[in-house]
Amino acid sequence: MSDIKLVDVTKQYEGQPQPAVDAVSLDIAAGELVVFVGPSGCGKTTTMKMINRLIEPTSGQILLGGADVMSIEPNELRRHIGYVIQQIGLFPHMTISENIQLVPGLLGWNRDRSRRRADELLDLVGLDPAAYRDRYPRQLSGGQQQRVGVARALAADPPVMLMDEPFGATDPITRERLQKEFLRLQAELRKTIVFVTHDFDEAVKLGDRIAVLKERSRVAQYDTPARILAAPADDYVASFAGSATAIKRLALIPAVRLPGEPLDERDGLPVLERGGSARDALDLMVRRGTSRVAVGDRTVDFAMICALLEDEHGR
Amino acid sequence: MDFSRYLERRWDDLLEQAVQHAAVVALSVLLATAIGVLVGVLTWRSARASGAAISVSAALLTIPSLALLALLIPLLGLGWAPTVVALVVYSLLPIIRNTVAGLRGVDPAILESARGMGLTGRQTMWRIQLPLAWPIILTGVRVSTQMLFAIATIAAYVAGPGLGNEILSGLAGLGSANALNKAVAGTAGVVLLALAFDLAFVGLRRVTTPRGLRV
Repeated sequence: MSDIKLVDVTKQYEGQPQPAVDAVSLDIAAGELVVFVGPSGCGKTTTMKMINRLIEPTSGQILLGGADVMSIEPNELRRHIGYVIQQIGLFPHMTISENIQLVPGLLGWNRDRSRRRADELLDLVGLDPAAYRDRYPRQLSGGQQQRVGVARALAADPPVMLMDEPFGATDPITRERLQKEFLRLQAELRKTIVFVTHDFDEAVKLGDRIAVLKERSRVAQYDTPARILAAPADDYVASFAGSATAIKRLALIPAVRLPGEPLDERDGLPVLERGGSARDALDLMVRRGTSRVAVGDRTVDFAMICALLEDEHGR
Repeated sequence: MDFSRYLERRWDDLLEQAVQHAAVVALSVLLATAIGVLVGVLTWRSARASGAAISVSAALLTIPSLALLALLIPLLGLGWAPTVVALVVYSLLPIIRNTVAGLRGVDPAILESARGMGLTGRQTMWRIQLPLAWPIILTGVRVSTQMLFAIATIAAYVAGPGLGNEILSGLAGLGSANALNKAVAGTAGVVLLALAFDLAFVGLRRVTTPRGLRV
């Protein structure tokens, strides 16, 4: 487990009037998934790339588990940080398994161990090792390739992962599936993850915390998705969060967590699917024209949902 | 004497010259590949450096081959040495150009992920870039080889090896009994050798292209 600490990190490119990244400070706790979200060109990717020294900061400090990244040899540093990019960048002349085994190989693992690790990871990302290990990247769909991209980044079990719009190039259906799988994976692995996206809804869906960045990567707000939706720090954050923020907040609350009353089977209420959110409950009410729905062995009504939003706002 | 009887009588000599012809071309292409790929690897990143390397190798190609061979005699004498040097000089352009094009053609996303995974520059070159650029580099080598089979005939002027000797002695003795036979036999030999090598390149390409690029 490693936490990440950015202290007044600045990147000034020569010949530019203003720094690309201007004195950014952020603390990312170990095991936390933090999303950098902001418009294109705001410096979020630059900020992320300074963590594994693909870009060198001009000033400031980046600490990884307490160690200054500038004191670690860059290639050695990168071998211990998972890196996933939107274009995936699998090596087309290597098999899927060879792609995954590359970093373990660089770290001196023996072949057997690397090979077993590759199979284990393919399994983890939902690809049958027997069917996929000897295929080549070009034989896989975009969604499958990105799964391999994630598996490859996890190969040497790095405590930290950097992900640059990893699901940005996939179609909406694939993206949603990848996001869901990724959340399941992260619940299991608890890596420290910096995830860059320009899609606020993706940030809300995935992030433990969100850093909303504005120009020069300045932090407009750094908080949990629920609190950013409930209380945006300023107009910029509010405009980025978009409309219908109350509904978006409901999506973050599992319906089973809503206060409810015991269900009377004779009421014949519409039943919410297992694992549905408060938003799904509301959606069901609107569709069926009722103000109550059954959630498990309880009923939830419209007033409770409204009260819940009030509560969250106060916090 | 008709052509078939001429071939029959001179078969051993012709064979020896053909083998030497092939050998001098193969040796030159191997050296040129080593030099050309190295130059490409060192210069591909910079448009100016690779542009200069390509311009120089193109300029070398414009030197008339007879002149180049003559210029090399005082330095290297006669025979194999000036022949190989001249052939290497002439085959650099396609190899350097294709190496640069092949390395430039590698998807930047692949290079970024290699760097992000912690491969050193050298590891990236050997394990990622060169294998991916190889089919294009090999095409350059193939073009050079075809060119060299023709150019290598001139080597006979500096007492170099190969079928050029047969052609040269035919041309020198025009009007004499076997002059035409000699010229035709030498020329046909060169063409056949070139075709055989070209076929071999098809096989070589198949064998050396990474499987993942063929699927």
